[in-house]
Amino acid sequence: MSQNTELNLTGVKQSQGMWLVKVPKYLSQQWDNAAEKGEVGKITIGKKQGKTEVHFSLDAELSALGATEEKGGLLQVPRDHPFTVHTVGGQTLAVFSQSSTDEIRLEGMVVYRAECRPVVNDNYMKLKKLQIKESTKPQRISQQLERAVTSVFKPVANHDFNVEYEKKKKSEGKMVRAERQVVLDMLFSAFEKHQYYNIKDLVDITRQPVTYLKEIMREIGTYNSKGTHKSTWELKPEYRHYHSAEEEERESA
Amino acid sequence: MTSLGSSSSSATEYTVRVPKNTSKKYNIMAFNAGDRVNCSTWTQARMERDMSARRIYGEEETTEGAAGSEFGKKQREEARRKKFGIVTREFKVEDQPWILKVNGKAGKRFKGLKKGGVTENASYYIFTQCPDGAFEAFPVHGWYNFTPQAKHRTLTAEEAEEEWGRRNKVVNHFSIMLQRRLREQEHGEDEGDEAEKSGKKKKKGGRGGDLCIHDLEDDLGMSSDDSDSSMGDDGENKSKVKKNTGKGAKKKKPKSSDKEALEDSDDGDYEGLEVDYMSDESSSDEEPEKGKPNKGEELPKGIDEASESEEESEEEKQNDAEEKEEEEEEEGKKTPVQIEKKKKKDSSGESDTSDDSDIEGETASALFMKKRTPPKRGGRGSAGSSRTGSRPGTPSIDSASTSNTLRAAASKLEQGKRQIQGPGTDSPAAKRLKMEPSSQSPVPSGKSTPQPPSGKSTPSSSDVQLTEEAVRRYLIRKPMTTKDLLKKFQTKRTGLSSEQTVNVLAQILKRLNPERKNINDKMHFYLTE
Repeated sequence: MSQNTELNLTGVKQSQGMWLVKVPKYLSQQWDNAAEKGEVGKITIGKKQGKTEVHFSLDAELSALGATEEKGGLLQVPRDHPFTVHTVGGQTLAVFSQSSTDEIRLEGMVVYRAECRPVVNDNYMKLKKLQIKESTKPQRISQQLERAVTSVFKPVANHDFNVEYEKKKKSEGKMVRAERQVVLDMLFSAFEKHQYYNIKDLVDITRQPVTYLKEIMREIGTYNSKGTHKSTWELKPEYRHYHSAEEEERESA
Repeated sequence: MTSLGSSSSSATEYTVRVPKNTSKKYNIMAFNAGDRVNCSTWTQARMERDMSARRIYGEEETTEGAAGSEFGKKQREEARRKKFGIVTREFKVEDQPWILKVNGKAGKRFKGLKKGGVTENASYYIFTQCPDGAFEAFPVHGWYNFTPQAKHRTLTAEEAEEEWGRRNKVVNHFSIMLQRRLREQEHGEDEGDEAEKSGKKKKKGGRGGDLCIHDLEDDLGMSSDDSDSSMGDDGENKSKVKKNTGKGAKKKKPKSSDKEALEDSDDGDYEGLEVDYMSDESSSDEEPEKGKPNKGEELPKGIDEASESEEESEEEKQNDAEEKEEEEEEEGKKTPVQIEKKKKKDSSGESDTSDDSDIEGETASALFMKKRTPPKRGGRGSAGSSRTGSRPGTPSIDSASTSNTLRAAASKLEQGKRQIQGPGTDSPAAKRLKMEPSSQSPVPSGKSTPQPPSGKSTPSSSDVQLTEEAVRRYLIRKPMTTKDLLKKFQTKRTGLSSEQTVNVLAQILKRLNPERKNINDKMHFYLTE
């Protein structure tokens, strides 16, 4: 649950304004592969005949890196990307950041929105074609098998699973009736944790034969055949003491 | 930073860096331009995740361990869900909306909902210029659209639907919320929660500022009514509530099943009326219901009230009740139009006088039906007082003597329609009345005033006559303060100015010489005949 954190407003007051730039996926992937220093390219802002033009060019290394494996480096990630810049129209965009320490900072306001567009040339078209081919490949394909499946079930004297089961049973041995008092103690401690128990679960917990256990349960508990807790056992009211931090008082038979 | 100079263009080059070690995740906070949000004006802001969806998603265990829990319940529930193929969506904190509070408690509140699909096909980056001139690009992690949250009160869905049904009738929309607030105030005092809710729902009659009747009624609370209502015990209240519900329900569909069919409804009587199906709830505020011109409703309402007032009168003033009943009888006789009703009322009057505390049913109800018309005018009987307290009697066009409830309803409707600026004119009128000297004795509802035959053609001024007869009738029925009486004879209705009303009332009271009684530290006048 995140706390009600105070928004750090220092950033927004200082910053002069940010740009929100939409970058194509392949380009952002390249940027992720950038070197440690983080330099990915250069941006050129110029004024051509009065109009501002922004142009981004990708680093040569990164462009080469981005070549797909299949083509063996022939295809390069396009380098030149003019930016289409326009102002933020019907929205007021602000940027806030969340740090790992759960501190929220208002970084600043967006003054320009830009889209990074690649220059449409043959290189780019080839790249796109590859991308499309990749995405249209189905995730599941049918393969033809050379040999037919031959996992026919052969008759077995005793199945593996059964063998294990019997070994387990042998090792644990039959459930022996413990002392009544011991069993009662076990039951009471179990009922301390939960109110309703299945007979099977009780058998599991106490490791007692079912008939013996049922006998004891009939003494100290009742069986719910109806209601929300369908076929469960619970302690009789006089034995119960379900309060949060109080010790349970039990009466032994 | 290298700068390239050229003749016709100048360009500056900056390097772009994408920092790798970002521990900070950048998000976009989008506001609608129309909201005119200016982040620089924020002095302080707090932001937190809205976790209200957690209890829907997270199956919370009410009892963990010990009492009430089963052994292995969780596993069993999970297995069951898998078997049925129920896939529960995880509660992801990241996807929860933000709540942004700006400038503390008094400032604005915004809710930021995450916009999906932002990072799927294209990535957004935030480019900031560093002091060294290079650009740094940070990827945008999420986009949140922030919308301002309304602090003012809004109508609930049911109320909105009701208002929608009345949109053609209601001219003054500002009064809708005003009415609601007034209603809330009244209800909060008298009734419990359920009544409040139902009251709000049932405030159909009370709404509509253009029906000045209601506005006045809201303002003109009976001075003794509050005390009466508070005196009533729970049973009374409940019966009141039920009756109110009955009234409300009847507004929409006259429940004549359990009440005697007192009147045939004409075509078009119930047109435009919304049917209220919540018959169990009710509001103590009867005024709005009365205000709603509905002939059919008045009958059943009357019945309810009749039985109710029966009970009340039993507890409070049996004599008065009887007297009122007699009065009702008289009124009934005077009514030219509805003979049926009259007959019934007469019979009820007789039975009432039998002094049976358990009189309930048609006769009583019929009687009280008549009583209702006076309460509409602000007439109160001890029986009707508690009800009218919560429901300031609608100033009936005719005096309470309009035992012809149909006519009263019609005339009210007529009045209401004629009133264009309802609340505006009404509240000042009400205030004027209140300010008049309390020496004015309560004016009995003009039983003797001639009742217009159809109601619709009655000019408002002639509906109420400030006569001794009317004052007498009021006083006999219920002790009233001067204020209450004044409310009965509103300047609009009587055509007299407030000064004149005061004087005339004083004269009448001198003539009548009523007995005095102190209720709730207020001097009440009453007559016993």
